[in-house]
Amino acid sequence: MVGMVIERDSVGEEGDDVVTPGEFLGEATEFIAGKGAYVSPNGRSVRACLTGRRKVTAAPPGSHDNRSTIEIVGHKAHGAVPQPGSIVIARVTKVMARNASADIMCVDSKAVKEKFSGIIRQQDVRATEIDKVDMYQSFRPGDIVRALVLSLGDARAYYLSTAKNELGVVSAQSISGGTMVPISWTEMQCPLTGQIEQRKVAKVD
Amino acid sequence: MDVDTRNMTPTNLIDKIVVPGDVVLDLTKMENQTIKLGSGLRQDYDCISVMQAGKLRLSKPNKYWVESSQKRYVPSLEDTVLGIVVEHRSDNFLVDIKAPNLAFLPVLAFEGGTRRNIPKFETGTLIYARVVKANGIMNPELSCTDASGKAAEFGQLKNGYMFETSTGLARMLLSSPTCPVLEALGKKISFETAVGFNGRVWVNASSPDDVILVSNAIMRSEFLSGTQQRIMAEKLLQRLEKV
Repeated sequence: MVGMVIERDSVGEEGDDVVTPGEFLGEATEFIAGKGAYVSPNGRSVRACLTGRRKVTAAPPGSHDNRSTIEIVGHKAHGAVPQPGSIVIARVTKVMARNASADIMCVDSKAVKEKFSGIIRQQDVRATEIDKVDMYQSFRPGDIVRALVLSLGDARAYYLSTAKNELGVVSAQSISGGTMVPISWTEMQCPLTGQIEQRKVAKVD
Repeated sequence: MDVDTRNMTPTNLIDKIVVPGDVVLDLTKMENQTIKLGSGLRQDYDCISVMQAGKLRLSKPNKYWVESSQKRYVPSLEDTVLGIVVEHRSDNFLVDIKAPNLAFLPVLAFEGGTRRNIPKFETGTLIYARVVKANGIMNPELSCTDASGKAAEFGQLKNGYMFETSTGLARMLLSSPTCPVLEALGKKISFETAVGFNGRVWVNASSPDDVILVSNAIMRSEFLSGTQQRIMAEKLLQRLEKV
């Protein structure tokens, strides 16, 4: 007969009191700083860096460090924020001679809670012949594009890139109003009229 | 398909006034044909319908479009227009051409244009230029050279008098053979004009009286037939001789 060990529930206790940033939570010798907490510069105390309620989680059995983890919960959940290297879905708002502006709507398949602006520069539209890119034949206002965040960009907008096969226009409407069907990496066709329009199309598997 | 039916035009509205909503072509009755649609027409599944009121025109063999006259101008490629400089940016001038957007005129788009001899156009300068890029989304782009890079007649228009007209009158003034009013005036007065497809006309002559007379004659000639234009011009010219 094997004796079963009932593990202590790893859901920790939650305090009722609200803590504010900077408030002392516990000694660094007894607690590990989790999400929303940090170890103070002198290395001795764990303090909060968010506003919320404290939650203590016991250390998982078998780990060599048996300090509990303190984290802060109950704060407003932040939406996704674009980071360099993340794939975003954006809607093109303006097309100009050397770049196109887009509003970022999703980051890595999670919707954003506030508006982020992105810019796709002429040299980031595709990987080949970047000086011959015609922005008008790559994007139109209203197109939905999948792009890669290159960098945080300047104060106004993130820098986005569509210079890969799987990046580019995912969904677009034709002049006649129908949702177009991609037929190659440069062309999409309207199902209502049969007209072909040029876009930088993403290769969707 | 026998030859006779192919030669018949599929619609009887050519050169007639059409209004938005009129169906001008039924595509199910015209198979194996390529049709080119110009401005004012759109494809609605199987029929071509009118978007803008005007006269339906056909250019053989297969180009259809609606010619309309209005006060505002929709830029289209290779049109010659008269623009007014609004601002000078580092790499182009912003020019107003009566279009929904301001047009860009690159500072190097002149004959022999280099960074060292950029023309100094102040706000309000009148320019005769050619549209080189016009899609509905971006700002149109102009150039003061012709296709081979020569200045031709493009550039700043000095002196003279500029007035605004509708696009229909501008097209009539630019039609060939020469518009009757211009021909009648040209017999007695020596003057020069520049007409922009965007509804702006510039007139220059040796004396202010001549400039005023020519401008008034042009403005009055929009809805007159050829004969009426000639009579009107001659009446105005008689006034000159009396004085």
